[in-house]
Amino acid sequence: MLSEAAFGLAQRGHDVEILSTCARDHYTWANEFPAGTVEIPAGRGDGDRAVLVRRFEVERDTPGTVRDRIGDRILAGETVSIQDQQRWMNDSLRCSGLWNHVFDHGDRYRAIVLAPYMFWTTYALSQIRPERSIIMPCLHDEPPAYLELFRSMIEGVHGVWFLTEPERDVAARLYRLPDRQAIVGASVEFPESHAPDEFRAEYGIDGRYVYYGGRREWGKGWHDLVLGYVRYLERRSGRSALQLVTSGVGPVDRPAGTERHIVDVGLLSDRQRDNAMAGADAYLQPSAMESFSRTVLEAMLASTPVIANRASEVVAWHLAESGAGLTYEGEAELVECLDFVTDEPAAAAALAIDGPAYVSDRYRLDHVLDRMTATLDRWLPVRRVQEVAG
Amino acid sequence: MRTLLVTPFPPYRDGIATYATQELRRLRADGAEVDVLSPVPSAARWHLPLGGPSAMVPLARRAAAYDRTLIQFGPELLFGRCRSAAERVAVWSGLAVLAARNPVELRIHEIEYGPLEQHPIERRLARLALGRARRVTVHTEAERAALDRLVGLGQRIDVIEHGRDFRPAVVRSRDVARAELGLSADHCLFVAIGFLQHHKGFDRAVDAVDRLNGLDVELHVVGSARVDHPDITGYVDRLRARCAEVASATLHDRFVSDVEFDLWLQAADAVVLPYREIWSSGVVERARLFETQIVASDLPQLRDQAPAGTIFFSDVDELTVALEKLRSATGRPIELAAEDATEDATDPPAGDRGGGSWIVEADHPDRASIQSQIAARARSTEIAGVATGGHRLGDRRPVDALLALGHLHRPEPNSARPGVAPVKRLIERLIAWRIDPLAMRLEELQRATIQAVAQLDGTGREDATPTHNERTPSS
Repeated sequence: MLSEAAFGLAQRGHDVEILSTCARDHYTWANEFPAGTVEIPAGRGDGDRAVLVRRFEVERDTPGTVRDRIGDRILAGETVSIQDQQRWMNDSLRCSGLWNHVFDHGDRYRAIVLAPYMFWTTYALSQIRPERSIIMPCLHDEPPAYLELFRSMIEGVHGVWFLTEPERDVAARLYRLPDRQAIVGASVEFPESHAPDEFRAEYGIDGRYVYYGGRREWGKGWHDLVLGYVRYLERRSGRSALQLVTSGVGPVDRPAGTERHIVDVGLLSDRQRDNAMAGADAYLQPSAMESFSRTVLEAMLASTPVIANRASEVVAWHLAESGAGLTYEGEAELVECLDFVTDEPAAAAALAIDGPAYVSDRYRLDHVLDRMTATLDRWLPVRRVQEVAG
Repeated sequence: MRTLLVTPFPPYRDGIATYATQELRRLRADGAEVDVLSPVPSAARWHLPLGGPSAMVPLARRAAAYDRTLIQFGPELLFGRCRSAAERVAVWSGLAVLAARNPVELRIHEIEYGPLEQHPIERRLARLALGRARRVTVHTEAERAALDRLVGLGQRIDVIEHGRDFRPAVVRSRDVARAELGLSADHCLFVAIGFLQHHKGFDRAVDAVDRLNGLDVELHVVGSARVDHPDITGYVDRLRARCAEVASATLHDRFVSDVEFDLWLQAADAVVLPYREIWSSGVVERARLFETQIVASDLPQLRDQAPAGTIFFSDVDELTVALEKLRSATGRPIELAAEDATEDATDPPAGDRGGGSWIVEADHPDRASIQSQIAARARSTEIAGVATGGHRLGDRRPVDALLALGHLHRPEPNSARPGVAPVKRLIERLIAWRIDPLAMRLEELQRATIQAVAQLDGTGREDATPTHNERTPSS
């Protein structure tokens, strides 16, 4: 998300650096990329600017037991002292090289954009140059969001960029937001075309199906989705039923007897994913904690209706605004949604008719960059602080 | 020159960490190559569990790779985990060895005098360690004199300016700062800010504004409990209860950002430092950045540190007089600000006069002003009556009995006896799955009961919180 914004801003003539860690995976935080700098052209033309990427090694030299112990208390909704909140934050990845770079050179940057709110990098770096820091929190209504630690962070920075209105509403409930706040959104890539038959042929899928792509884990609602789907199969006994096609990482955990119905196609490229979405009767979004839900927007672009967990305020809001799908609360409603899509395919498809326009109007890269640059010009005009050298 | 800076460090936030960060900025700007070692994981390059004797050898080993070691010396940093005089002696010995082998500067933010006064061996070793240090620095002449009295280093202790590296996190006009904080633009606004603990004496500021009894004055106490310790949470609970009783006092029990901290200082007509004890104060230095009027306890360290124009007081009566003078001066040049409130110390206490002191020039009394004060006092008395639900402050309400029960504080798994603390910690972990839900439920029940009784009682306390339980068992 930030990477697309960085390259987009560079293409518009801004000098942009990406400051990051050497990690590829935020589960292990292992240093996989080499530390140092690399220049990546922002566009395909010879005269295009380059984005300078600086990577710094992550330090993970603590066992993480303090984080686990305090984290359990946070998730249980207990009141945790500010001292323990700080111990929780620091018993995770740390990146002193990155901190020192911003400490020593932070005044060279017109703006320092930090995301997401819960990472050490955001918390630690936002304290160094708060007067030019903008946080893109990617916030959910979840126990850590209630911590004093994050309240003081959000309230102390120069500006906040939100992805959606519901995210801003959550933040406004939890914090005293600074005046400088804006909903800038994030961009979604627009495929040139969709080729659902390509996907069917490649994976041998003949019949109708619903699709879920993403991490198959508890936090994403995967297991609840499987339970609901099995219930749907039971109810459709003797009648036609949709397959559940899934891609991504994490164990599928199919109940015995459902192997024919729940099909794992593994990891997909962006094109394969877009094609999978286009071929589906519906895209399923069971997660209750989405701050933006890019996949839902990608499904809308494919004119595929979405069936989503209503507990996710953001997804429910996308669907209310666009009309491009249905939401459910609980297993019974999920089963009804699946039944509807199975029995009324034309009506289900018609729901999605305004999906592409909804995404195009709001989440084209150009629109997102317009909003970002407009806020930058208002909040941190060039005359006020030195533009990035280079 | 390669320097090792030993200090609490961000993103941990406390006064010394902020101080060290600002010093680091200057050192690097001067061309020094500086690495940081912190006592817990942080943004520092190194971390080492300081606070006890076992850390001294690895610290010495790390310091050997540098040309100079600068230690931001505070009791918690080097002695925080010591459980006995023997351990403290071992730390001082380690520090003496470190200072003998490496050029060390000890920047003394605070030393606990009690143990040094009680234990001659510890005092001798402290003298040895400090004597071997290449440089010992403090922030006020009073600190220098006190330290010299104890360890006898004389002029080898340098006094440096506490705020020499400080810079504002944000600069706003008073009006804009107030608007950003959602505060009244035209009231006289006093701010007491910092970690909430007994020795900061914020309760004294609340007592003083209570006596002012004014509609146009506000005291904002801003800060949070630094650590989860029964003494501190008990103090915060009592402070919260007291603020709830005083219409013009508000407790903002918040962990504030550096930006918000500076906004409060710029929004204030005066910042109040009612400290019962202090070494040197970072708040003084930050207030000085914005030329905010300071009202401070008459402690030698603050006398040394505070800028000209600071108003000093010795007790709540004098603080009340000082705040009253500032209130009357708000909106015109603060001529009284340069005076010591102690000049009026012979006045009877404000509380004895029923409504706080009058603002009047004996030679040229301003009738309109007096008339206005009469009206304001009458209104505030009425409102105070309403705000307290008709109860006088000294009356006991039904809810008070519940509040006095205090929080359920579980004893810390500590012990001075070797080996006992780990066993206690183990037992704590083993039984936590049964005990924690029960304790949480108990707290919820207590809160709910207090709120229910408060509503019946007519006090309508939404923030009803139990006070510190004096019977809490200690370890």
